[in-house]
Amino acid sequence: MHDLDSRLNRCFNSVFPDLAAEQVPTASVESVRGWDSLAAVTLLAVVQEEFGLEIGLTDLSGLVSYKAIHNYIRSHNGGS
Amino acid sequence: MNLIEALEVLKQPVSPHRPAIRVGLACGFTPLHLETFLAAQLRQRMPAHAIEIVPGLFGDLAGNIERFQTGQCDVLAAVVEWQDLDPRLGARSLGGWRREDLPDIEKSVELSVSRLERALRTSSSRFPVCLCLPTLPLPPLFTTTTGQASAQELQLRNSLAAFAANVAKEPSVRVLNSQQLDERSGMAKRFNLQSELTAGFPYHLPHASAIAELLAALIQNPAPKKGLITDLDDTLWSGLLGEVGVEGVSWDLDRHSHMHGVYQQFLGSLASAGVLVAVATKNDAAQVEQALGRKDLILAKEKLFPVEAHWSAKSESVGRILETWNIGADAVVFVDDTPMEVAEVKAAFPEMECLGFPRNDPGAIWNLLKQLRDLFGKSAISPEDLIRLESIRSAGAMREAVNHDRGTFDDFLRSANAEIEFNFAKQPRDSRAFELVNKTNQFNLNGKRLTEAAWHDYLSNPSSFLLTVNYEDKYGPLGRIAVLLGRIEEKSVSVDSWVMSCRAFSRRIEHQCLKQLCERFDAAEIVLDYQATPRNGPLQEFLSAIAGPLTTPLRISRNDFLGKCPALYQRVKELVNA
Repeated sequence: MHDLDSRLNRCFNSVFPDLAAEQVPTASVESVRGWDSLAAVTLLAVVQEEFGLEIGLTDLSGLVSYKAIHNYIRSHNGGS
Repeated sequence: MNLIEALEVLKQPVSPHRPAIRVGLACGFTPLHLETFLAAQLRQRMPAHAIEIVPGLFGDLAGNIERFQTGQCDVLAAVVEWQDLDPRLGARSLGGWRREDLPDIEKSVELSVSRLERALRTSSSRFPVCLCLPTLPLPPLFTTTTGQASAQELQLRNSLAAFAANVAKEPSVRVLNSQQLDERSGMAKRFNLQSELTAGFPYHLPHASAIAELLAALIQNPAPKKGLITDLDDTLWSGLLGEVGVEGVSWDLDRHSHMHGVYQQFLGSLASAGVLVAVATKNDAAQVEQALGRKDLILAKEKLFPVEAHWSAKSESVGRILETWNIGADAVVFVDDTPMEVAEVKAAFPEMECLGFPRNDPGAIWNLLKQLRDLFGKSAISPEDLIRLESIRSAGAMREAVNHDRGTFDDFLRSANAEIEFNFAKQPRDSRAFELVNKTNQFNLNGKRLTEAAWHDYLSNPSSFLLTVNYEDKYGPLGRIAVLLGRIEEKSVSVDSWVMSCRAFSRRIEHQCLKQLCERFDAAEIVLDYQATPRNGPLQEFLSAIAGPLTTPLRISRNDFLGKCPALYQRVKELVNA
C-alpha cells in the first residue's frame, strides 16, 4: 500500500509540480487550480504508464480526485 | 523515456542567459504527450536551453505548416499521419469506406501531398524542417484481406513516397528515417484508438516517445565528424601483417573475414563523401606500403592519408595525423581492435571518439558501421567536401615548397599563381557558408554560432551582406574557404561574423578580404564584432598585426589597414548576384 501511495504521489507531483505534498491526498478537480482537461489526460496517461493499467472509456469520467484514482488502482491490482 | 521521466526532465532549471529554442510542432492531431516528449528529449540533448514548443491547430496539418512565419520558430517539426492526407484514413471520420470511395481517397491524398509539398518548400526557406511521415497503420478499409496489400493501398503509399523523395531533396528538409522508428517501435504497439477517440491523440506513449527521440536528433542536427583514423591489423583486414605477410591478410568470405571488406567498403563510402581517412598502425612501414598496394583492396589506397606505420605509441601517430589534417581531436573518430590502444589514444585525446573494432562479431561490426554513419552523416555533400583531401595534400606540398625554396615568403606567394573569388550574392540556402560559420574555431571572429532561422533572419535584413570567398592556386583548389556576414552603414562596414578554414592560412587571404570590403563598400572604417575565444588564436594574431591591441568591438580604419597590409599577389574576381 505504501508503494502505491508513493508511486501515485509521484504521478501527481510530475503533473502538478506546485502541489504541496500534504495537499496531494485530498487533491481533486475542484481543489487543484491546474486540473483542467489537458492535465487530466496527462495525469491519467502517467498513471496508466506507471501502474501498467488500461483505464476503460467508461471509467475515465469518474477519476477526478486522488482518492478516486487510488481506489481505481487498488481495485484493478495496479498497486501490487 | 516514459512520460513521468519526461515531465521530470522539464522541471529542471534552465540558464536564463541562453535563448530558448522555439520548435514549431505541426501536426493534425492533439500534440499532447508528443509535445511533452519532444521538449524533454530536446532538453536532454541541449540542457542549457529552455525549449519552447509552439503547437498549431487541431485537424489542419497543412495550414499549421503554412502559418509558421519567419521569426515564429527556430525549427519546424511536422508530423504527418494518414488522416491528415484524407480524414477517411483515420478513425475519427465517418466519411465512408465504400469500394466506390477509394478512387476519391486516392485523388484526395494526391492533392494533400501536393499542398504539403508546397508548404514544406516555403517553410524550409525560412527555417529547417524535420518531417515525420505517417507512422500508423492504414485502417481496414480496402477490399482485400489485411494480409494482402491492395492496389489502392500501394498507390497511396506510392504517392506518399514520391512526395517524401521530392521534399528530401530540399537542403533544409530532414525526413525522419522510418527504418529507425521501426527498430524502436513495433507497428502493432503504435496506435492507441481509445486515446484517439477520447483525446484526439493517436499514439501509445512508447511510440510517441520514440518519434520524439528521433525528431529531437534531427532537430539538434549535430555537426558531423570530419576524419577517421583506423588501425590495419584485425580491423581494416583480418590477420596480423607481421605474422601472416602481405598475401596472408584477408577480407573475403572464403576465409571468414568478409566483414573487414565491408568495413573497407564503408570507409570508401565515407571518403567519397569528403571524410578524411588515415591509418595508424604498429607495423613495418615497407610491408604496410606493399599490403595497401594490393589490387584487391576494396578501399583505394590513395584515399588513406596520411599513413602512420611504425612502432611508436598510437597516440603519437594520431597527434601527427591531426597536425597534417589541421583539425581538432573532437572532430575525429579513432577505430582499433585492441582495447589497450583505444584506451591509450582516448587518454591522450579525451575529446576524440575512440571505438573498438569488434573483430569476429559480424553483428557488432554492422552496428559499428551504423554508429559511424551517425557520427559522419550529413544531409548534403558540398563541392568542398569532394576536394578536401586533395587540398590537404596540396597544403602539405605548399608547406614543403615554402621550407625548401630559397626565396622569400613573398617570392613563394608571388609564384603560387593564386586566384580569389569574392561572391557577394546573398544566398540564404548556402549550406556550405552556414556550415563554415558554425564549425570553424581557429579563424573565427567571435565564436558565435547561428541557428538556421537566425541565419535566414540575418540575411533577410536589406542592409546585411554575405561574402563568400573561393580560393585556388597552382597547388590546387581549396574551394569556398571563408565567409563574412555584416551590415553596411553610412561610412563603415560592420562585420558580425568572419570565419576562414584553417586550410587557407598563410596565404594572405584574410588581408585580401579586408581590402575587398573597403573597396566594395567604399568604407572608411571596418568595425569587427571581435571577441577572444579559447580557440581563435590565429585570428587574434592576424588582427594584432594589423590593428594593435585588441578591443571589442575592434575598429580598423581603411588608411591604417592599407598602411600595414603586406603585398598581395592574388588575382581577384568579384561576383555579385551570381
